[in-house]
Amino acid sequence: MKGKMAGSSIANGRMAARAFTAIVGGYAAAAGFVSLLARISPIDRAEATIWAMTLSFLVYAGLILWAFHETRLARVAAAIWGLAFGSVGCLWLLGPAL
Amino acid sequence: MSKTASNAAPGVRQSMAWIHGWLGLLAGWILFAMFLTGTASYFRPEITRWMQPEIDLRPVTAATAADTAVAHLQKVAPTAEQWFIYLPDARTTATRIFIRERPNPDPDAKPAPRRPELRLDPATGEEVTARDTRGGEHFYRFHFQLQIPHPWGRWLAGLCAMAMLTAIISGVITHKRIFVDFFTLRWSKGQRSWLDAHNVSAVIALPFHAMITYTGLITLVAMYMPWPIQANYKDPATFETAVFGAEPDAEATGRPAALTPVAPLIAKASEEWGGGRPATMVVRNPNDATATVTLFQSAKDRLNARGGSIVFSGVDGRRLSASPPPGPAAETSGVMLGLHMGSFAGPVLRWTYFLLGLAGTAMVGTGLMLWTVKRKRPGAAPFFGIRLAERLNVGAIACLPAGMAAFLLANRLLPATLPARGDVEVSIMFWTWFGLAALACVRPIRRAWTETLAIAAVAFLALPLVNALTTDRGFVRSFANGDWLFVAFDLAMLATGALLGFGAWRAAQKSSRPARKPRVAARPVNPLREAVDAH
Repeated sequence: MKGKMAGSSIANGRMAARAFTAIVGGYAAAAGFVSLLARISPIDRAEATIWAMTLSFLVYAGLILWAFHETRLARVAAAIWGLAFGSVGCLWLLGPAL
Repeated sequence: MSKTASNAAPGVRQSMAWIHGWLGLLAGWILFAMFLTGTASYFRPEITRWMQPEIDLRPVTAATAADTAVAHLQKVAPTAEQWFIYLPDARTTATRIFIRERPNPDPDAKPAPRRPELRLDPATGEEVTARDTRGGEHFYRFHFQLQIPHPWGRWLAGLCAMAMLTAIISGVITHKRIFVDFFTLRWSKGQRSWLDAHNVSAVIALPFHAMITYTGLITLVAMYMPWPIQANYKDPATFETAVFGAEPDAEATGRPAALTPVAPLIAKASEEWGGGRPATMVVRNPNDATATVTLFQSAKDRLNARGGSIVFSGVDGRRLSASPPPGPAAETSGVMLGLHMGSFAGPVLRWTYFLLGLAGTAMVGTGLMLWTVKRKRPGAAPFFGIRLAERLNVGAIACLPAGMAAFLLANRLLPATLPARGDVEVSIMFWTWFGLAALACVRPIRRAWTETLAIAAVAFLALPLVNALTTDRGFVRSFANGDWLFVAFDLAMLATGALLGFGAWRAAQKSSRPARKPRVAARPVNPLREAVDAH
């Protein structure tokens, strides 16, 4: 995330991992998180679904920005992939949709 | 300035400047094209009407248009499965109809070829024929499909829109003097001027940029983010029914029954909508005992673009059902859709939308320029990345407008009877766009700017002339007849040509002027510090 990082192959690999985490992981985390909220929120089910879809891009954008802002790559990967797998896991535990 | 910047929260501002620069660059060329064609799409029906000058229809009431369309359909397809009737309004003067044939009961039979959409004169119900063209629809579709096969074009557009959203947020965080920069534009100062221009175009219309980007994502949210539906519903159709109401799906019985007159249904629906107009009428199983008529409310007189729908019996005109009233979330997302499309906007607000869209285009364009100007070292040969970015800048900023002008010129110059004429127009736009961009790659960069901008300017300036020579709706006659659409179109083309000509002139001045002594050439450059300085 800093200009000097380019140059060595390790730095390039870390940047690729960071970008992948931000863009793909961020999408998975945002999708899983808002889907979980839509599932457990007590309001009308259709309304909860639309709120989750409408706000999802804000969550995704926030995750992308944070992924490039936070210097510790391990922390970025743990948080974003943790949120993605965690929320999808919770949805799985809740069982299939009605 | 650099000192205060590095004192005040350097971490966030630096990382945000970095991501702003890179995301803006990588998505910038596509975003420029999306912004420009999207801005043109605020005049989608007007562009279509200009591109078919032989059609000049008088507006009629929705009830009359519905009656004439139904009369036409009774003649040509009385036993079809469904009729789709898109009613005209003051901006789209023709009625559009589409017929869905009943599927062949024999499973081995080849499916009947899809019937093309037809256009009718709303006053008479006669079919209107004109030169084949995609019209304003082409810019509109390109704006979010990028002429790339489905679904990849839409996914790429969505990815670029996400880059735009993050660039806007990071740009605001990076930027610390939003109010001051509102009033700051220093001309002819190289990098400083590009930065000022980027700031002015971004800051003046910041709420618009943020709104249009977010609502743009919402227009395709069902494709980009379907997962909450998956989490909550086993069958997505259940969700759609809960939000939009159930569509009639009765099979035809084969017992004939005369179709009820549709004009009274329009009056009933309009009363229920508090004066709202219908935009679309769908007739299912016409002339059958199970016939239904569904009316969808127009988005043109309301902020929420998802109007309600009412289903009537097609036999006796009884009201059968209606879409449920939207909850707060459905209302919010419908309004977001409406804000993006701007269908509700009258002429003044529509032009405001157009100008704000141009400000967005300018913001992306100046941002792209800034990226290259900032990284060029005086005296040193630019590295490959900069040279590539420079050429792509020419290809997007100067060559796309030239391609759009070529699309419009082709509309006037190609023979009216040419086979697949509409597709040829589209190919001409892309050949001109990418051909010019390729040509610009072999020219010195400054000359490339001057030449491509000049070509684009000449192409736009030629449009009113070519229009006057090839149609009977030239400027003088249009003015005398009070044909304000054609008058405004000619004036808009002249203004666009003048703007591009001004750009060519500025670029020419720069290339003839000897390179100025760089102000800070001796200072060692710290890339981190510099990113902050610039913002």
